[in-house]
Amino acid sequence: MSLLESLRFTRGDSPIHRLDPRAKFLLTLVFFASSVIFLEAIPLLLILAVQIPLVVTAKVTKEWLKTIKGASVIAAFIFITNLISFYYFRGGLTPSLVEYSAALTIRFIVLVTSFSVFFLTTSPDKLSLALEKARIPYEFNFAFITAIRFVPVLADEAQTIMDAQRSRGLELDKGNFLSRVRNYIPILLPLIINSIRRSLELAEAMESRAFGASPNRTNLYELEMTPRDYLVSLLALVLLALAIYVRFLANWSFTLTG
Amino acid sequence: MGQVEVEGLTYSYPQASKPALQDINLTIEEGEFILFTGPSGCGKTTLCRALNGLIPRFYQGEMSGSVRVMGLDTREHPTWELARHVGLIFQNPENQIFALTVEKDIAFGLENLGVSREEMYREVDWAARVTGIQNLRLRATHELSGGQKQRLTIASVLAMRPSIIVLDEPTSFLDPVGAERIFQVLDRLNKELGITIIIIEHRIDIAAKYVDRIVVFDRGRLVSDGSPREVLGREETRLLGVGIPRVLMLSKMLGPELFPSPPLSPEEFYQAILPRLPKATTATTKPSPAHQFVGEHYHKAIIQVEGVSYTYPAGVEALKDVDLEIHQGDYVAIMGENGAGKTTLIKHFNGLLRPQRGRVLLDGRDISETSVAQLSRRVGLVFQNPDDQLFEETVEREVAFALRNFGMDEGMVEKRVDWALNLLDLAQYKHKSPFTLSGGERKRVALASVLAWDPEVLVLDEPTIGQDYGQKERLKHFLMQLRTQGKTIVVVTHDVEFVAESQPRIVLMAGGRVLDEGPTKEVMTRVESLERCSVAQPEITKLFALLSNHGLPKDVVDVGEGCDILRGVLGGGRT
Repeated sequence: MSLLESLRFTRGDSPIHRLDPRAKFLLTLVFFASSVIFLEAIPLLLILAVQIPLVVTAKVTKEWLKTIKGASVIAAFIFITNLISFYYFRGGLTPSLVEYSAALTIRFIVLVTSFSVFFLTTSPDKLSLALEKARIPYEFNFAFITAIRFVPVLADEAQTIMDAQRSRGLELDKGNFLSRVRNYIPILLPLIINSIRRSLELAEAMESRAFGASPNRTNLYELEMTPRDYLVSLLALVLLALAIYVRFLANWSFTLTG
Repeated sequence: MGQVEVEGLTYSYPQASKPALQDINLTIEEGEFILFTGPSGCGKTTLCRALNGLIPRFYQGEMSGSVRVMGLDTREHPTWELARHVGLIFQNPENQIFALTVEKDIAFGLENLGVSREEMYREVDWAARVTGIQNLRLRATHELSGGQKQRLTIASVLAMRPSIIVLDEPTSFLDPVGAERIFQVLDRLNKELGITIIIIEHRIDIAAKYVDRIVVFDRGRLVSDGSPREVLGREETRLLGVGIPRVLMLSKMLGPELFPSPPLSPEEFYQAILPRLPKATTATTKPSPAHQFVGEHYHKAIIQVEGVSYTYPAGVEALKDVDLEIHQGDYVAIMGENGAGKTTLIKHFNGLLRPQRGRVLLDGRDISETSVAQLSRRVGLVFQNPDDQLFEETVEREVAFALRNFGMDEGMVEKRVDWALNLLDLAQYKHKSPFTLSGGERKRVALASVLAWDPEVLVLDEPTIGQDYGQKERLKHFLMQLRTQGKTIVVVTHDVEFVAESQPRIVLMAGGRVLDEGPTKEVMTRVESLERCSVAQPEITKLFALLSNHGLPKDVVDVGEGCDILRGVLGGGRT
């Protein structure tokens, strides 16, 4: 849960926040691609070393550490299952297999970091603008923003419903597995019915605000690529080229163990 | 021709047995400020939705007659086109905010209309300034308070430059100070920009000060129309169960011969009787004879809150070192502005929240080890919105839900359900679905579903929200009845007049602390404490604050008592 929560955008201001989401997404994809092509620990650690200054510049170190903490369970799982499967299927545990498992774990951390920096520093509004630029129909875009808009509202409502039912003697963690599932019915039903009622009210309010009036809908905000955004995109592409060169053409060896 | 012309409008919702509106004829001129009122279910909300074509377009149903807005027939023009002329604002601000930031939400309507960016920035700027939220422009919408959210919805509609703004109970979720602020904004739109305002509102005391016309509805028909003074002065209006200003009620009890025209505010009332009052004196006034219902301190404490602090995970410090004692048989009202910590406090009474510092005692025993289910049997909490708890197929099962959770045997469950349904006058709905009932009835079902197990302490969160005058009267009598049976009652409320008429012990909260407490008469005259907690004085108390210069007591909160005192001074009058 904490893994998902820490991907949530928190308002802030930094050079990373101000980047155009398209440039930032390109950078994220480059990190993704370059970490996928390497299987050794050293280049992956190098990529992580490039990412960490970005985390610090974006002033999201605290949130990022939370993400990593949330991800550490999965990271440990990756490490251990790899070790075990090598042990059984490749016969015996060698130092190189430990290194390989460690590399896969670092790759996971790199991937989590790249996406968490993107989502932590990109406001949903900007994201939706980027989607708009990508010619995603406005209805989808609107649904996306509305979903995000109502997450805190629904969370509050679920809490209130839970409080109301517990005050009527409902004990959520009573009984065996099946009856525990059944215990949630008195919480889910009002939540669903309220959501239906809410969607009707939303539709009324949308109508009253001229939703769908003009085929040429405008937007208060606009995305504009600044020279800095072009520079970042260029650097990202250079990084990708470098990674491809090192991996496929340069014939360097990174393995620490035989 | 008027700005709005309603002619012979009759409308029925799909599958409804009787029409929601019957033969309505109404003309509204440019620049009017109109209050629509009437008991719940009288058709006022339906008429508002007919003004921008939501009825019949969105709701379907059967409509005859016509509605013309700025000369446009609402059946021939789509709602989005009418939206440029009529802005509609609904009760719950949460469900009409679409964007994540304030300025983006103000722009939503303009974006839909395809307005250029430069023009949008100009309009957004203007609308935010007029509604007083310009400093919030870049804030996230979910961080706003209820009052700020409602002002945002006004700004959002205003940005589309409508000539008419229609508001359906916009202040229901606000405290009195927030409500007053909404009216001030609307007054400005009306006076300075000439925008026609149509508002539905249960707080007649506030509304009467601002509007220049009142239209009363009852069972789908328009029954009264005129200036506030005319309409509220009519006996039929009062009989309909429309709340009228308390000072007006008082003037009627004293006899109309004293008042050349019906007074709507304490100042008008005071001016009218000034010639008959004894000369102003500087002598200190003595307090009125106290009516102590129950000697609180003769009883033992049932709930004790000792130095309790609570901070929500998001970092909001909701309670700061709160001490409070509630005695057996007490009737306590917890008051204060939104966000003062009232609801957080009552959630500590049955263990839904556990104090981070300090402790809560029930009957002298620390409750930290007792489960919510066990505590709830003795302390029953009724939440504000019945829709946050109703889920069963029938009213009967809904009321039985808690009883079965508590493990009562079926014979007992049946007996208790019948008892609770009779007590709240719900027996005829026993086998109906709670979802088919009206808002007021649903609220009663929620109350019955807690009362059924007869908890010693009954805690009600905002029981009067969204209730009309008649429903509030019934609730008040019902609570009085429970009190005579010795039940301890705690209400969290903004409703000053409700409090003035039932006279509980008041606990005033602000910023997570208890600032003051005492009997209604005492607390309601401590102007400073009230101000710090954003609680307004009852109208009658405001009147007696003026009268106290003439040697009359100032701690009068209730119409009946005010009448007795003034009769003694002025003489005569009807009984």
